[in-house]
This record gives sequence, structure tokens and C-alpha cells, in this order.
Amino acid sequence: MERTDIRNFCIIAHIDHGKSTLADRLLELTGTVSAREMTEQVLDAMDLERERGVTIKASAVRMNYTTQNGHGYEINLIDTPGHVDFSYEVSRALQACEGAVLVVDATQGIEAQTLANLFLALDADLEIIPVVNKIDLPAARPDEVAEEIEELLGIDAADVIQISAKTGVNVEAVLEAVVERVPPPKGDVTLPLRALVFDSHYDSYKGVIAYVRVVEGVLDMSEPLLMMATGAIAEPIEIGIFSPNMKPSGRLEAGEVGYVATGLKTVRDARVGDTITVRSRAAAEALPGYVAVKPMVFAGLYPTENEDYDLLRDALDKLQLNDASLVFEPETSQALNFGFRCGFLGLFHMDIIQERLEREYDLDIIATAPSVEYEIEMRNTGEVRVIDSPAQLPDEAEIEEIREPWMRIQIFTPTDYIGPIMDLVTKRRGEYVSTEYLDPRRVMLNYTIPLAELIVDFYDRLKSISRGYASLDYHFEGYRTGNLAKLDILINHQPVDALALIVHQDAAYHKGQALVSKLKEAIPRQQFEVPIQAAMGKKVISRANVKALRKDVLAKCYGGDITRKRKLLEKQKKGKKRMKMVGQVELPQEAFMTLLKLDEG
Amino acid sequence: MLPVSLYLHIPFCKSRCSYCDFNTYAGLDHLTEDYIAALGREIELAGRGIEGEKPHAHTLYLGGGTPSLLTPQQVELLIAASRRHFDLPAGAEISIEANPGTVDLDKLRRLREMGVNRLSLGVQSAQAADLKLFGRIHSFEEAIDAFKLARRAGYENISIDLIYGAPGQTLPGWRDTLKRILDWQPEHISLYSLSIEEGTPLEAQIEQGTVDVPDPDLAADMYDQAREALSKAGLQQYELSNWARSGRECRHNRQYWLNESYLGFGAGAYGTFDGLRYWNVGPVGEYIERIRQTKESRFPPSPAAEGSETVNHKMAMTETMILGLRLTGEGVYKERFARRFGRTVDQVFGDVITRLVEQELLADDGQSVRLTERAYLISNRVFVHFVEDGSLTA
Repeated sequence: MERTDIRNFCIIAHIDHGKSTLADRLLELTGTVSAREMTEQVLDAMDLERERGVTIKASAVRMNYTTQNGHGYEINLIDTPGHVDFSYEVSRALQACEGAVLVVDATQGIEAQTLANLFLALDADLEIIPVVNKIDLPAARPDEVAEEIEELLGIDAADVIQISAKTGVNVEAVLEAVVERVPPPKGDVTLPLRALVFDSHYDSYKGVIAYVRVVEGVLDMSEPLLMMATGAIAEPIEIGIFSPNMKPSGRLEAGEVGYVATGLKTVRDARVGDTITVRSRAAAEALPGYVAVKPMVFAGLYPTENEDYDLLRDALDKLQLNDASLVFEPETSQALNFGFRCGFLGLFHMDIIQERLEREYDLDIIATAPSVEYEIEMRNTGEVRVIDSPAQLPDEAEIEEIREPWMRIQIFTPTDYIGPIMDLVTKRRGEYVSTEYLDPRRVMLNYTIPLAELIVDFYDRLKSISRGYASLDYHFEGYRTGNLAKLDILINHQPVDALALIVHQDAAYHKGQALVSKLKEAIPRQQFEVPIQAAMGKKVISRANVKALRKDVLAKCYGGDITRKRKLLEKQKKGKKRMKMVGQVELPQEAFMTLLKLDEG
Repeated sequence: MLPVSLYLHIPFCKSRCSYCDFNTYAGLDHLTEDYIAALGREIELAGRGIEGEKPHAHTLYLGGGTPSLLTPQQVELLIAASRRHFDLPAGAEISIEANPGTVDLDKLRRLREMGVNRLSLGVQSAQAADLKLFGRIHSFEEAIDAFKLARRAGYENISIDLIYGAPGQTLPGWRDTLKRILDWQPEHISLYSLSIEEGTPLEAQIEQGTVDVPDPDLAADMYDQAREALSKAGLQQYELSNWARSGRECRHNRQYWLNESYLGFGAGAYGTFDGLRYWNVGPVGEYIERIRQTKESRFPPSPAAEGSETVNHKMAMTETMILGLRLTGEGVYKERFARRFGRTVDQVFGDVITRLVEQELLADDGQSVRLTERAYLISNRVFVHFVEDGSLTA
């Protein structure tokens, strides 16, 4: 295949705008997947992806397409994750392409992630092919949405392709446009190898399989490879293409997309964004844009039953094989015993990991409230400590200042919900930046907001006050000093580390109260009265008592009752085992989740 | 072999009370004759089915349901069958449960004459509103009459059942009930905290919101006040829900709490004998049919058993604790435990007992282990430590 006959592109879209459905149609249309093999969301291999309708891992597939004028092309579709938590991964996947199909739902219009992804695509210098999808729906307004695209992106509305990926209408026009408008890959085959890793997965036989786009030179089996960022050396075990399953081809040339099985033992050795070169004839410089992604959100994960600790560690190890952005280290909590402090790219990432632990590894887990990474400047030494858990906060007297991460956020919403959304953001300490009207009925609100406020129930609240219409995108902005302090929760006069929070002083009183009253509901009555207190330093700012249990007795117990009675007690005992003992107090799992559900207002 | 206890279940009622989830039926009077015949036959089959000598029995209890609905002849038939097939000496305790709306002097006298020496009267409350809520068929005045008649008929061992912790009940009303009952000077009182059972009319009413959810704290107050009042009246608490004058403790029920053998006869009855627990089929017609079809059968289980389980050593030890600790006065005697199981209580449950003693929920004087007073109302929190956390039975 001549390089001029190759096209590399990706599809970018807001969640639910039809990216995976369009990909399915393209695979069908090009005969890459036979009708018999066709399932929904072919490229989303995980159950979780299919259920949630969102792509979590990138993938790639090579299609052969013959245009209407009879010319054959090799088209590589790179599927990208569909959530802002993975925007770095998306940016690397875009680097592997020359063009992007931008899908916009004809009933929804442009959303926060449409724009965020578009900016990434423009950054990567990609040719944009705008597509309006779901024109078969009664509520579709394709012309208006095309206008919106013209206004926002400066692309002629006439060039916007109107399709229904579901019914297949006009889908072929997308392939024609890809061939016509996306430039063929450039890159000198004679230069030393530079191949961009845009994702990877771990295979127990072949080690880490790196998904690559060869930018320059040739990737073949002849010589050991070097990962330029991590310094790892790999003997290529297999090189091939995705069609859509892995198919060995022995070599990949500049411009091509495929995979290399490296034999490496962990995906941390072949990170997304790294450059693969040949060790003996290394490229002078790595490809630009590599960043070692850092987790933004942290939480403790603890097994409900202490004896599952080893199982949890094994499960996290296995997940980490495939997920370089998941970090964890052992953590001990006086309340929850032994567990792991885990770092995630964002809340969605955390949610996914938690769900996979529970579903794929059958573990019962207690997650502590998520925290961000704070910078603590110490009073006397000027030393800066980085902490990711309220429990690590030093004594107040030793602290000069606490800095917390702030985010830039964009909220897209119908104008009807501007009021409540502004309320929400302001309550969460958001600072207004600007408002941009997309059309008379839709608006983009720009704010900055502390990440800590974003990670506790913000997205759900946003969705609920906008009846699901508002969408959100966010990016790290920087650290800022905050008037922050630790809020301790004392149960039966004992501070419970897993319930501590770092809060803004102004909100401390309210949060303390809300938390205490939620805990009072969540904690069952015990054999003695249990005081619950919220305290800042030594000062108690809120308290409530869980009254002592006075009655738990079976009044009648005669001949026929004993079996029933024993079974009842056995059930009670089983329930007890799921409780966590903190001092003399039994705390149910829900108690640790109350932090996530503090009501507004 | 230690003497056993005999329980005969009479499942018939004039109408079902709103809280009742026992194996009882209203409107099946036409089956009574056949049922009594079957019950007599079950006693016979059991007596013959047990290997070796005729077992000694020291208590016989007619419970229900409403045993007092039976005619004296029917009761006589059952007692006669029991005497014929078991060694039931003259001094044995023979109890019958009676509903105030179903007795007259003649019946009470004739029962007394045939050997019934203990009467358990289901009074439940002195408050008209309570009796209405419970769906009782009698007024408090009728209960007074029944008590007086029983005394006239010669009963010197009468027990009164009362219910507390019911929706709408108040502390003053409860105190009034206790006072009136204590004025009668009964030998024995059982106080039952109302529990809302699945599938009962009372549960439905609570679900619909026409009746309030019972307040457990109020029930606890009622219990505390009752303990005080009964103690002042000279009645000693000997079990979590039972009080008696000295020597009038119910021997039959104590058999259960000591986890000793008892044979249950009748529809839905339970029995535990020779390491086996069985339970009979519940529906009356089915029970009669099962007995009719049996010519002879090894006992246990009963030929009418719907199911049975082997009570293994471990289960028996657990049950000995959770039943024995209900006996607030005597508790679990260490010597008796060791004699029965070949291991001491401390060998088996030492850690648990030490922990509960530290929490002041158990008292251990070296001779026996007992609940402390503060544990009475939260005894489940003590018992739970003595059970396994899975099901012991498959």
C-alpha cells in the first residue's frame, strides 16, 4: 500500500452523541467485521464500556475501503476514551491521526466535551470533518446544529455531513470525506524510528502490547527497542495491525498504525505518549507532548472484610497492569484497618476502578471520601509537603499556608438553567470568568473552582438541577492558597481518621452540621449512647447523639421458636461482620459514604 | 434418661388475633373431632415408636390456638393417651392455655378433676382499646370472671399473659393493667413485648398507616416499670418474660430453656428428642391425613413431621447458651453444661464470656453464667456472640 493511500483518523464526540455507533457502521460498511460477528460497540471490549455506553480504553482498527470511483484505501480508525478524565490519553490518540470526525448529536447540539475535544484536535493540527448524527430522531434539528457548528468552529455549514449512524443513512459520505479531506500521513521511512505510543494493554503471554503510530522510520522485529521516556528496553515479540483483532504483520512503516508486543512486564514501562525507537539507532529526540500523567483525585480503598486485604492488593496489581494512571500504596486507618491510598485521574476514573474491583474481582469495598492533593507550606522551615488525605494534615500551628488545586471549568447549558447552575458553582467557591452564548438558547459558562469542590457530588448536582441538559468539562489551572482547615469527626469522643475532611473555613460550620446529622442517621443505635461531634482543632462546632439501644429482645422463646431464633441471630451476626468497629462503636459502611452525600443549601 | 415434656398443639380459635402468626385457624371447628383423634393417635405412635422403655414425662402442656375451646371429653382423651403411652406420674405439671371468652365453671371444674393443675389465662390487657386493637374476643370484665371461676374451680396455679409495647398503649394505661392484675394475686405472670410479625393484620395496619409503629423506647420503659411493680408484689422474675411466686415457675417452659427433650404433637408442633429436631406439617387437614396413613413408625421424628434436623454437638451447645441465659435467675449452670457436653462452658465460650462480662452484660460467679439486669432488654446482643455466622444447617 502506498503511503498516499493511507488515512488515519479518529472520532471525537460528547458522550452519547453516537461515536461508537458510527464506528460500528464504518466497520460494517468496510466489511472489517462481518454481519455475523457484529455486536454493538464492537470496539468497546469491556462489559462496563458497553453498559455505560462510554469508551474507557483507546483502541484502533484498520479498515480497507474502496471509494465510489474505485480506488482502494487503508483507513485506520483510532477510538478514543470518551471522558474528560482521560483527556491526556485522547490528546495522544489524536497525535496519531491526521484527521478527526467530529460527531454532534442533532438533538443536543454542541456540548462541553465536543468543544474540549475539538480544541485538542485543533492543537494536534487535525483536519476536522464535522458530522451531525441522529437525524432520524423526531427531535433532530440538523440544520440548526450545523449552523451552530459554523458559528463556533468557522466551518461552512454546507460542509457538515448529516447522518444517522443508527440507520446507516449517509454514513458512506463520512468515509468519502475521510479519504478526500484527511491528508495522507507524512514521515520519512529512512529516518531512525519514532513511534508514538497512544495506548497499551497487558497480555500475560506477550507482555505489554503498545498501540503505536509510526511517525518516522520502520518498526520491525530485527532489533531491541527503546522507550525514550521510561528508558525501558524491549525485544519486539510480535508486530501487527488491528483488523479489528490483532494480526501479525511483522513490520510497520512511517504513517502506519498498529501494535508491538514488547514483552515488558508493566504498562508503566510503555506509557501513553512515550516514543519508541530502535536502541542501536536511536532517534535524537522523542516526539513532543509526553507527560507522565498524575492522579488528581485520591481516596482510600478498604476491604469490607479485613481478610480480603491480599485479594484487594492482587486486584489492584492486576488493574494497574493495564492502567498506568492508577497509583496506590498501602495505607492504615485506625477506623478501617488495612487498605490502599489510591490515586485516580478523576472521579470517573475512580468510579470505574471501584466498579471493576467489585464486579471483576468480586470484592466488597469501602471507599473513603475523595480528596485532592494539597500543598502544605510549613511555618518554620518553609518546607512544602504534599498530602492527599486529610489524615496527613500536620498540626494547625505548624502550618503557614495550605494550597489547593483549582480547575478551569466550562459548563454548557440551556439558558433556562443558568440561575441554579450559577448558584451551585458559587456555593462551591467557584469564581466567575465569562459567559459565551452559543445561540440564543444555549450558553457556555466559564468558571474557576477548587477541584475539591468539584469532586464531591458536583457533577450529579449539575445534572440534576439542569435535568440532565448541562455538560461539564474541566482542566487543571494551578494551585492557590486557601483558607482551609481540617474538620475532624469524633465518634464516641474518638476522632475517626477516615471521616476527616479538609474544608474551607467559611463552609466548616455548615458542613460539620450536615455531616453530624447524616452520621446520626447512618449509625445504628448501640448498647450505649454514642456522641457524634464535628470539631475544628479543639473546638466542637456541631454535635448529636445516637441514643442508646434499649431493646433488642425476642419476647417469646418456647419449643417451636428456637430454630427461628437461632437463624435470626445468625443473620444478625452476619450483618455485624460487615460493620467496622471503631473503638466500641460499630459503624456501617454507609457511615463512610455520608461525606459524599452532604446536601446543598 | 431424664424425664421429657409433652406439648400438645390445639390450633383452633374462634377468631385470630391481629398480632398472631402461630399455626392457628379460625373456622375449622368441624375438623376438631378428627383432629383430637389424630392427636391421640400421634401420641400413641410416638409412645410405641420410641425404642426401649416407656419414657418418663414430667410435664404436659396444651397450648394453642385455644385449647379451652375443647370439650372436657376431648381434653380427657388427650390426657388419657398421654398417660397410657408415657409414664406421667401424679405429680406432673399439666397446663392448659385458656381464653377468657371460652370457659365456664363446669368446664374448669372437670378439667381440674382430670388432673389439669395449671391454667394459663390469656388476658393481654385491662385496657379496652388494647383488647380491640388485638382483636381479642373477650372484654376485661370477662377476664376477671374467668379468673374468679378458675379460683372457684380449685386452680392454685394460674398464670396471666399480658402484652406491652403495643401501638397506642401508654405508661399510665400499662401501670393500671399491672395494678389490676396484681390485685388478683396470680401465681405466675408472663409479659410479652409485642412484636409485629410478617403477614399479620396488625402489620398490614401499620403499613397502611392506620396504626402507629410501636416505640421500642416506650416498651423498654414499660418493661422496667413492670419489673419493679411485680417485684414489689412478691413475684420473682425467673426468665426474660416470666415471673412467678416461689415454686410456681413453669416447669414445662423451663424444660425448653434448659434445652432438654420435649415431644411436640399436633399440627405445626416442634419436638426435640434423641438428638433430632422435627416439625410437623402445619395445615390441620394434612396433619390428620398424615397420621391416618401411618400404621407404625420409629420415633423421632413424628410421623407427621414435615422436616427435621440433627442437632449436632456444636448447635446444642449454642442453643443451651441462648436458651439458658434467658433464665435470669439461674442462668447456665456450669456443672450441668460440663456434664452434658464433656467440655466446660469456659473451654467452649470462655473468650466470649470474658468480653461480655467486661461489658457488664454477663455475670459469672464461677457456678453459673447469667445475664446482668442491663442486658435483659438487649439480650439479642449477647446471644449473637454465641451463634455461628453462617447457617449451621444446610
